[in-house]
Order: sequence, then C-alpha cells, then structure tokens
Amino acid sequence: MLKMTHLSKVYRTEVVETYALRDFNIDVKEGEFVAVTGPSGSGKTTFLTIAGLLETFTGGEYHLDGVEVSHLNDNARSKIRNEKIGFIFQAFNLIPDLNVFDNVEVPLRYRGMKSAERKKRIMESLERVGLASRAKHYPAELSGGQQQRVAIARALAGSPRLLLADEPTGNLDTQMARSVLELLEEIHREGATIVMVTHDPELAARAQRNVHVIDGQVVDLAEDPRFHAHVAQVAEATHGR
Amino acid sequence: MQIKPILSALRQHKAGTVLIAMQIALTLAIVCNALFIIQQRLAHLSEPSGIDETHLFVVENQWVGKPSPDQLDAQIRADLSALRQLSSVQDASVSNSYPLHGGGWDDGLKLKPDQANATTEAAIYFADEHMLATLGLKLIAGRNFRADEIGHMGIRDALAPPVIVITKALAEKLFPSVDGHANAALGKTVYLMSNRTTIIGIVDQLQSQSVARWAADFAHRSVLVPLRLVSPQGTYYLIQAKPGQLDAAMHAAEPTLLAQSRKRVISDKDGLLSFAEVRAHAYDSDYGMAVLMGIVCVVLLAITAAGIVGLTSFWVGQRRRQIGVRRALGATRRDILSYFMTENLLISSGGALLGVLLAVTMNLWLVIRFEMQHLSLLYVFIGVAILLLLGQCAVLAPAMRAAQVSPVEATRTV
Repeated sequence: MLKMTHLSKVYRTEVVETYALRDFNIDVKEGEFVAVTGPSGSGKTTFLTIAGLLETFTGGEYHLDGVEVSHLNDNARSKIRNEKIGFIFQAFNLIPDLNVFDNVEVPLRYRGMKSAERKKRIMESLERVGLASRAKHYPAELSGGQQQRVAIARALAGSPRLLLADEPTGNLDTQMARSVLELLEEIHREGATIVMVTHDPELAARAQRNVHVIDGQVVDLAEDPRFHAHVAQVAEATHGR
Repeated sequence: MQIKPILSALRQHKAGTVLIAMQIALTLAIVCNALFIIQQRLAHLSEPSGIDETHLFVVENQWVGKPSPDQLDAQIRADLSALRQLSSVQDASVSNSYPLHGGGWDDGLKLKPDQANATTEAAIYFADEHMLATLGLKLIAGRNFRADEIGHMGIRDALAPPVIVITKALAEKLFPSVDGHANAALGKTVYLMSNRTTIIGIVDQLQSQSVARWAADFAHRSVLVPLRLVSPQGTYYLIQAKPGQLDAAMHAAEPTLLAQSRKRVISDKDGLLSFAEVRAHAYDSDYGMAVLMGIVCVVLLAITAAGIVGLTSFWVGQRRRQIGVRRALGATRRDILSYFMTENLLISSGGALLGVLLAVTMNLWLVIRFEMQHLSLLYVFIGVAILLLLGQCAVLAPAMRAAQVSPVEATRTV
C-alpha cells in the first residue's frame, strides 16, 4: 500500500543542508495498522507529510497503492490525496466557518460527487462516529473529542485506501483519547490501512506494528542504543509526574 | 460550484462582507449616475450646430467713437468687401451673434397678430445674402435673400423684416404638416415682434446662440433676418476660410480690417476666434462636468478595487491554514482560485443588487431635484458589468496567492 525506498528529504538554505529524512525505508501492507514513533524532531511528521503527498521529497522512491508518485504533477497529487488518503490531524483542522455537515462535505465536493451521494456518505460517516445529531453545529460548539471525531468522519467519508493520523490524540484528555483510539481500532478492524504518527509509546502499543524513527531514519529497535535511551527518558518523565 | 459552503462561511464574516458589499453598492449607484451624466454632457457638446465649422472664424469688432448708422453701414459693407477679396477667404458675412456664442437675440413668433402668447421662441440672426454660404447652411426649400433685400437696422429700431429665412425645426413647429415636410411653411406669413413677415426660405439646421438647458426646447429654432446691425457697440464678422487656409485667413483678417479703418478695437484675447475655440468655450462647463464625473468614477472604482484587494488579502492571510487543509483534502490550485473568485462574485453580486436600487433611487432624487432625465437601464447594466469585472480583477492577485499555499500548511502548528 505504502512503500518508501531510500527516501530522503533535504531542506537547503544558502549555508546549510538539513536532512529531515535520510535513506528512509518503510513498507506498509494493505490492512495494516502501523504506528510511527520517535522523539520530537526525528522526522516522523516529515514522513507523514510526504506519505500524504502534502510535500515532495528530495531523493529515493515512494510507491503509493502501486503508483510511483515522484513525477506526478500538482493536480494528480491533489486527486490522489482526495481519493485515496484520509487525514486525521492533531489539531483536528476543521474549518471553523463551516458546520459539521459542511466540514465533512469538503473532500467530497472536490471529488465532484453528486449532492445526494454526498449527503448519504456524510450522514453515514457522522453516524459511524456518533455525531449525526450534531451535523448543524459549528466546530467551536463541540468538545475536542467531538471535533476529532468529525475530522475522522471527514477522513472516512471519501472511503480512502489509506488513513494517515498525526498525533490524533495529542490534544485530547485521556478519556477522549481512549474513545478516539477505540474508533481508529474499529475502523482498522473493518479493513482500513492506518499509519499513525505518535510520540506516545502507550498509544503506539495499540498498533499492529511499530516503526521507530530517529534522526530521519527507520531504526531496528532491538539494536539501536538511541531507542533504549529514548525509552529510558520517557519512563523517567512518566515516573517523575 | 461551491456556493452554499461559501455563503455559510461568509455568514461567519458578516462585518467584512457587508462593508465591502455596501462599498460596491455605493460605487455602483454613483458610477451609474455619473456615466449617465457623462453621456448626456458628451451628447450635448457634440450636438451639430448645422454650420460648417471647420474653416469658420469670428471677428468681434468694437467701434470707437460715435459714428452715425449710415457711416457704420458703409464701413461694414467696405469691411465685408475687403474681407471677401482676401485670397484665403471663401466668403464673409456680418451678424448680431452666431451659434454657440452664448448671447444674442431671442424673440417670439406668432401666427396671428392678435395672438396673446407666441407660438415659439426663436433665435434671431441678422444676415446678408452671403450668410448661407459663409455658414455653409443647407437651403432645403425656397430661396436665399437677394442683395436688394438687405437693409440695416439700429439697436433701437423696430425689428420689421419683410421676409425671413427660418430653420426646418422652426418651420415644423410653426406649421406642422401631416407628411412631415417643412415646405408647408414656405410662403407663409408669421409675426415677428408683431410685425408681419413672410417665410421665403428654409434651411436644414442652425443652432441657437445659447447651449444652456433652458434653451434646449428651441435650440434649433432660428430665424435669419435680412439686416445688418449698425450698433455703436460693435458687430460680429463671420468669415469662412478656404479649405486649409484658416490660419492664413485669421492672420490676414485683423490687418485687413484695420487698413479699412483704425476706429475699431479687436481684442487680443478673444477678438479673433476660430469656431473650434467658440465650441470649446460654449461647452467648457459640459466638458468640465464630464471630466469631473469621469475622475469621480475612476477614483471610486480605484478605492473599491483597493478595498476588495485589501479584504481578500486579509482573508487569505487569515485562512492560510484553512487553505492548506482544503489542499490536503484534495483541492487543486484551481479550486482555491475558484473559491476566492466565487466568494468575491457573490459579495459583488449582493452589492450590485443593492447598488441597482440605490442607483435608481439616486436618479429619482436627481430627476426631482435637478430635472435630470431618467436613468437608462443600459447604464445600470454597464455599471453592474464594470463592478463585477473590477471585483474579479481585484481579487485575482490575492486569489492567486491563496492558490500557491502549500497543502503542508495544514500540518503547521503555528
């Protein structure tokens, strides 16, 4: 479903080159629930933005659903984002000027879907996340958890092949985070491919498979001393609270 | 089209939306009326006078001393003879006034001697047998004055010409015919200042001296009387130069007249005027008003365009993340461009709708207050088209900037 081979992303200025990703390799099979973990600045969000075709990469190859994407133009990339990828962002990224119904409708409109079909899909998605009764509410009238559920409904409404989640519970309290996570697990059980970026080991543990990123590279957790150092750091921080 | 969500979003930005729509409405109302006024003024100043203006010029001659009427008449005839002999001159005549001059004589014409009120007012031009050729007037019926019919008249004498030549517009007013032919007036008797006179000729067109609005009803009702005015105040020589020799004739006229007699004053400032200058002076207020209205339109349109650019730029800046989210969800650059263009079109259309009502209301007020004509709907349509087009042009640059926002903007946390 998602395969990156020797992929690199370099940010260049006049005086310095910074590698956000270096020789990055990952292969996510269809139907997998993969958690991408790593410390802040490790490159996991860069990985997600490239995986979601939100930005381009510098070198290597990236196959999404069998298509090599490096040569696609902006319109083709928009089309793939719209039809094959569903995004769930940490900050929910709902459009504040639109109500819940209209927010979920956004990607469907860009697909050119007919009104009746849009309405059917929107209501199905909202029912699935338990917010059909809030269709006319504006984001500001919802709790954080509800907003994230709307974002998930928006991601699901287009029936994407791949769901990309960037710290989906990062802005939620424990109870809301649990309910969102349960929803993602349910979606996965129904056959969706999910790639979730998180720095939370507890959350990552709920995924089928963990991929750890450090300094822009995927590392083998058993062999990399940096992973053990990171785990110790997290444990210390957790006990210290 | 994504009209419904755009309208929903605009409802969340009422203040900016209403302000820009109001600005568009006000601009439309003013621009429509201003364009209409400009059109009216331009139509007024390009109204044909009926005379051949291209090679015509005027000499305003003021007499010095107190010559007798007979002396003046002799001097005028000598002057005209000298002017007609100039190689650059086609013909010359003399009158009390001329079209577009601003000042002159108007009198009422009656069909019966005991008629209480005049049938119409008309401009009175003194003329000799050379006047038709000098002004290039087109005789459409009857005949010109003969030399033996030309008399002279002092400023305090009664105006009692035995024959007159009138314009077609005046003929139609005095003797309206079923078939519309002005010839019906030919040979008829009318009363000028209660004095009986006969219409011997009809010319196609000759504008009155005044271009003021109050004279608009009888702007082309003119009478030529076979007289030379022997007024101690002065007289106007009308001179038709030969083609291409206007400058030469204008240079030669003053020395020629001074050679005949030095007992005259021809002002350096406006004693010698080409008819182009006469026309420019006559319509300078119309021209000035048209220019002023044009400037008002341009300034208003520029302010409105700047307002649209400003508001859209502000909204693009404010919505960068939202644009990024839309791009992440599959919007193409074209979709983003279309979003802002459509948003502007909706606001402009709302403003235009309100503006049409305002324009018509404003025009009704002008009609009542200043006796203006009713605004033609064509100008409303032109105004709406200009405003909508301006809005789309103004929004294009900020909308293109919005379309360049990267989808990765959706993941930015700050």
